[in-house]
Amino acid sequence: MNFSVVTSEFWSLCLQGLALGLIYSLIALGYTMVYGVLRLINFANSEVFMIGTFAVLVVQVNLLHHDVTSQPIHGFALAKALILSLFGAMIVCALLAMLVELVAYRRLRLHGSSRLASLISAIGTSIFLSEGMRNLTNSRPQTTPRLLEKTSLGTIWGANLRIDTIITIVAAIIIFLALDQFVNRSRLGKAIRAVSMSEENSRLMGINLNKVITLTFAIGGLTTGAAAFFYATVYENTIFNVGFNLGIAAFTAAVLGGIGNIRGAFYGGIALGLLEQFASAVLGSQWKAVTVFIVLVLVLLVKPSGIFGEAVQQTRT
Amino acid sequence: MNKNSKRVLAVVAASALAFGTVVTSQANAAVKEVTLMFQGPLTGPDAQLGQDQLPGAVYAISIYNATNPKVKIKLEKADSQCDGTVAANIAPGVAANKKVIGVIGTSCSGEAKNSFPSYKPAGLTMISPSATNVDLSNPKSKSNGFPIFHRVVPFDSTQAVVLAKVAAKEVASPKFYIVDDQTTYGKPLCDDVKLTAKKIGTIVGTDSVPKLTNDYSSVASKVKAAGANSVIYCGYQTDGAKFVKALRDSGSTAVFAAGDGVNTSDFPSLAGAAGEGVRLTAPDVPFDLLVSKTELAAFTKATSVKVPGLYVTSTYDATNIYISCIKAGKLTRAGIQSCVAGGSFKGVGGGTIKFDRYGDLTGGAPVGEFVVKGGVIKYLGGVNG
Amino acid sequence: MINLRDKGAEIWEGWNRPKRTIFVFAMIFLAGLLPFSASWGPTSFLNTPITSFQNVLVYPVGMFILMALGLNIVVGKSGLLDLGYVAFFAIGAYTQAIMSTMLDWKTWEILPFGIMFAMISGVMLGLPALRLRGDYLAIITLGFGEIVRIIAINSTSTGGPNGISGIPNPPSVLGIQFDLMHPEHYFWLVIAMILLVVWMVRRFTVRRPGRAWEAIRQDEDVAALMGVNTLVYKLWAFVIGAAVGGAAGVLYASKVMVISPDMFKFDVSVMILACVVFGGIGNIWGVMLGAGILAYLPDRFRFLTDYRQLVFGLVLIIMMNLRPDGLLPRKKREKISEKSK
Repeated sequence: MNFSVVTSEFWSLCLQGLALGLIYSLIALGYTMVYGVLRLINFANSEVFMIGTFAVLVVQVNLLHHDVTSQPIHGFALAKALILSLFGAMIVCALLAMLVELVAYRRLRLHGSSRLASLISAIGTSIFLSEGMRNLTNSRPQTTPRLLEKTSLGTIWGANLRIDTIITIVAAIIIFLALDQFVNRSRLGKAIRAVSMSEENSRLMGINLNKVITLTFAIGGLTTGAAAFFYATVYENTIFNVGFNLGIAAFTAAVLGGIGNIRGAFYGGIALGLLEQFASAVLGSQWKAVTVFIVLVLVLLVKPSGIFGEAVQQTRT
Repeated sequence: MNKNSKRVLAVVAASALAFGTVVTSQANAAVKEVTLMFQGPLTGPDAQLGQDQLPGAVYAISIYNATNPKVKIKLEKADSQCDGTVAANIAPGVAANKKVIGVIGTSCSGEAKNSFPSYKPAGLTMISPSATNVDLSNPKSKSNGFPIFHRVVPFDSTQAVVLAKVAAKEVASPKFYIVDDQTTYGKPLCDDVKLTAKKIGTIVGTDSVPKLTNDYSSVASKVKAAGANSVIYCGYQTDGAKFVKALRDSGSTAVFAAGDGVNTSDFPSLAGAAGEGVRLTAPDVPFDLLVSKTELAAFTKATSVKVPGLYVTSTYDATNIYISCIKAGKLTRAGIQSCVAGGSFKGVGGGTIKFDRYGDLTGGAPVGEFVVKGGVIKYLGGVNG
Repeated sequence: MINLRDKGAEIWEGWNRPKRTIFVFAMIFLAGLLPFSASWGPTSFLNTPITSFQNVLVYPVGMFILMALGLNIVVGKSGLLDLGYVAFFAIGAYTQAIMSTMLDWKTWEILPFGIMFAMISGVMLGLPALRLRGDYLAIITLGFGEIVRIIAINSTSTGGPNGISGIPNPPSVLGIQFDLMHPEHYFWLVIAMILLVVWMVRRFTVRRPGRAWEAIRQDEDVAALMGVNTLVYKLWAFVIGAAVGGAAGVLYASKVMVISPDMFKFDVSVMILACVVFGGIGNIWGVMLGAGILAYLPDRFRFLTDYRQLVFGLVLIIMMNLRPDGLLPRKKREKISEKSK
C-alpha cells in the first residue's frame, strides 16, 4: 500500500488515467456499437485496433518518410502528418471492420446461426490477423516516430499538462460528441437505433439491414482507428499482440458502462482508465487486473446491466 | 500483401501435400553423421533471442564440417518458443530421436525446466547459451538439471550483483526503484538485485508490472513520487522500451539500468531518444569484439548475419564444446555426457571453460557492462560479480 | 453436405444391444491403439513432426477432449458462455502440485481434492456470476480465469512465475506404470476419464438435470415460470463442468511434472471453447471429434512453423462459415433459433 503517491501525484495520475481511459472508450465503441445492433461480442475488434496502429506506422514511416531517429517536427508539417495518420488509421480500420463483418459474420448471420458460431469465427479472424502481422514483422516490436514533441503546456496542481495527453483528451471528447449527435440526430443514426431495438420490425419498416450493419461496423472501425492513432501518439510503440490487453480492457470498459450503450462506453472507459492508474499506484501494478475485476463484479451485482444500462435504447430486454 | 497471400496459399497447398506423405530422412551410409539439436525460441514473441543465437551454432558447425571430418554434424532446430508448455511437448520428441546426441539450449529458463523431465532419463546433455535462472543449477532446488544441464554463462545472481553496481555507478547516495516484469526471468533477477541494492544504497520503492502492459505512466509517477535516482528494470526489451519512454516523458532523469532481457540490438531503436544513456548488462561478450575481421567475414558468409547479436559468443562456445567431444570420438549420449562434464575446453575469447558438478562455470565469468550511446549499444567491459 | 450425425444416428438406432456393445468396445480398443499408430506403416502419416506423437495424444489431444466435454456441460447443455474455463484446469493442476510436493500425497489421493477445490471455486464464481445473463457472464468468467493466473504469479506458495517443479508421477495401478517412458499409459488413463465423463453426461442428459438444462438453454424465463429453479441448475452445470476441468488439471500436473502460471493463459480457454463450437455444441460426439482435431492439427502442422497459427485461424473461419453448427451438430429437436430470442 502506498498512499503518498496519491497525494503527491494525484492530478497527474488523473490526467494520465483520463487519456488512457478515453483510448479505452474509443476501442470500446467498436464492441458496443456492434453489440447494440447484433448482440454479439466483436472479438476481432482488438486486432482491428492492432492493424490501426500499424497503419499509423506505415503512414508516418513509409508515406511521410519519418523514422525513429528523425527529430520532432513543427507547425504545418506536424499538423499534416498527424491528420494524415489519424485519417489513415481511421479509414484502414473502418474498411477492415467492414471486411471482418463480411467475412466472419455475414454468412453466419444470414443463416441464423448461433452467436457462439460467430464468436468462434471472430476468434479465428482475430488469430489470423495477429498471426499474419506477426509473420510480416517477424514478431519484432515496432516504434512509431516521435513527430510531436512532448512539450509541457504548463502545470496545474503539480500535474504536467503534456501536449499529447491534452490532444488525446480533447480530440476523443470531440469524436464522442460528434458520434452521439450522429446516432441521436441523423437518419442513419435513427436506423441504427431502430435495428438495435428490433431487427425484424426495422426490416418491416423498410430499413436495409445489411447496410445498417455494415455502417455500424464502419463506425466502430473509425473510432477504433482513432484510438489506434492516439495510442501510437502517446505510447509510440506497437507489436502484433498489442491488441490483446487493450481489447480486453476496452471490452471490460464497455461492460462496465453498459454494453450496447454509447455513453456507457464513454464513461466506462474513463472509469476504467482512472481505476487502473490508481490501483497500480496504490496497490502495485500486479494487482491492477484483480482490482478491475472485483470492481466490475461489484458494479454488475448492484446494476446488472452496467452503470448506464444496456443497448443504444433501453427498450430491448 | 498480394505476394504474401500467394505465399500463404502456397504454404497451404504444400502442407496439404505433405499431410498425405510420410517424411523420413535416410541417413547417408557412407559418411557417419550425428545430430545436435538447437532448442530455443525461433518463432513467437521471444523469437529474436533464439534467432540471434542460432547463427553462433550454425557458424561453429559449418567450420567443423568444412574440414571434411569422418563424422559430420547435422544441426536440427527445435522451436520451443521460450514457452514451457511447448517445451514440455517438444522435449519428449527430441529425447526419443536417437540421432540427437546433444542439445544446444535451451535459450530460456522456463523451457529448460520443462525439458529436464524428458532429457534426464534419456541421458541427453544440454549446454545452454543463455538460460540464467539460478534454480537450474541449484543443488537444493527440485528443478535443477543435474546431471545433464550445463551453461556457458554466469547465472542471474552474478548478473544481479553487477546490475545493481552498474545502476549505482557515479550516483551519489543511490535511491533505487526496482521493477520486475513477473516472468520466470525478471522476477528472480530482481529478487537478487534487491539483495545487493540494499547494501550499496536504499530501495525507495518496488513494483511488478506484468509483461505486455501498455501504460507505464503510473509506474513513472511512482518513481517520481518516491524520489528515486536510479531505476532498475528486470524484464524484456519491448516493455523496457515502453517503461524508459514513460519515465523520460514524465520528466524523470534517474539512471535507467536493465539486464540482458533488454540488451538486444532492437532496443535503441525501440526506445528512441529516451534510450540514450540506458545502462545494460549481459553475461556475454559481443562476438565481434573477440574475433578477427576475417573470421567475422566468414561468419557473415556462413550465416548471412552482418552484426552478431547477443549470446552468439556463448552459443558458439557451447557448440564448440560438443564439437571437441565429437572430435574425441564420443558419439553416444553417454560419451558426450561424461566428456562435457569432465572435460576442459577453450572459449572463443581464450578463456578456459570447465563445468562444476551442477553445470555452472567453475570460477565464474565476468558480466559485460554496456551503455546505449548514439543509438547503439556500446560494450564497456567486464565486471566481476 | 451429407448429414453425418443423422446418418450415424440412423445406423445406431437400427442396431440391437449386443451389436452396440461390440461396436463401443471395438471403438475403445481402436482408440487405445492410437499411441502405436505413429510407428505402424499405414497409419504413420498421423505422426507429428518435432513433437512426440504419444505425448501430443495426452496433451493437448486427450486433455482437450476431456476439458471440452466438461465445458460442453456449461456451454452446450445449459447455454452459459464461459470464457475462463482454464481457471478450473489451473486449480486442479496447482492442487496436485502443492499437495504432492508439500504433503507427499499421491495423485489418486489428491484427485478428489483437486475436483473438490475446482467445484468450490465454481460455486464461488457461479453464485454472483450466474445471476447475470449471457455476455456479462462471459466477461466475468474471463476475468476470473486471468485472476487465478495472476494470483498464482503473485503468491509464494505457488512458486510465483517460476511455478512448481518436482511434481511426482502417479503411482502405478495394476502394474501399469505412469512415467515419462510410457506416455501411452497416460493416454489410456485419459481415455478412461473421458469414458467416465461421457457416461456421466449421458446419465444427466436423460434425467431431471438434463431436462432442466435444456429448458434453461431454450428459454430461461419460460423455464423459471414452469417451476425450474434456474439458478440451482445453472450452478450445477457450472460446478460439474468445473469438476471435470479440475480432474484434468490434476492429471496434467502429474504428467508434465513442472507447472507454471503461463501454462494457464486465456488462449487455453479460447481453444477449448473453439473445440466445443467447432465440433458441435451440445453433442458430445461432435465435441470430442472437434477437440481431437483442433488439438491435433497445430502439432501435425508444426513443420509450417511460422504459418501454423495463421492456418489455424483460417481453418476456424472457413469451418464456422461452412458448418456453423459444428462438425456433428446436435439433434434438430434440440436446436433453437437464437434469432427469435
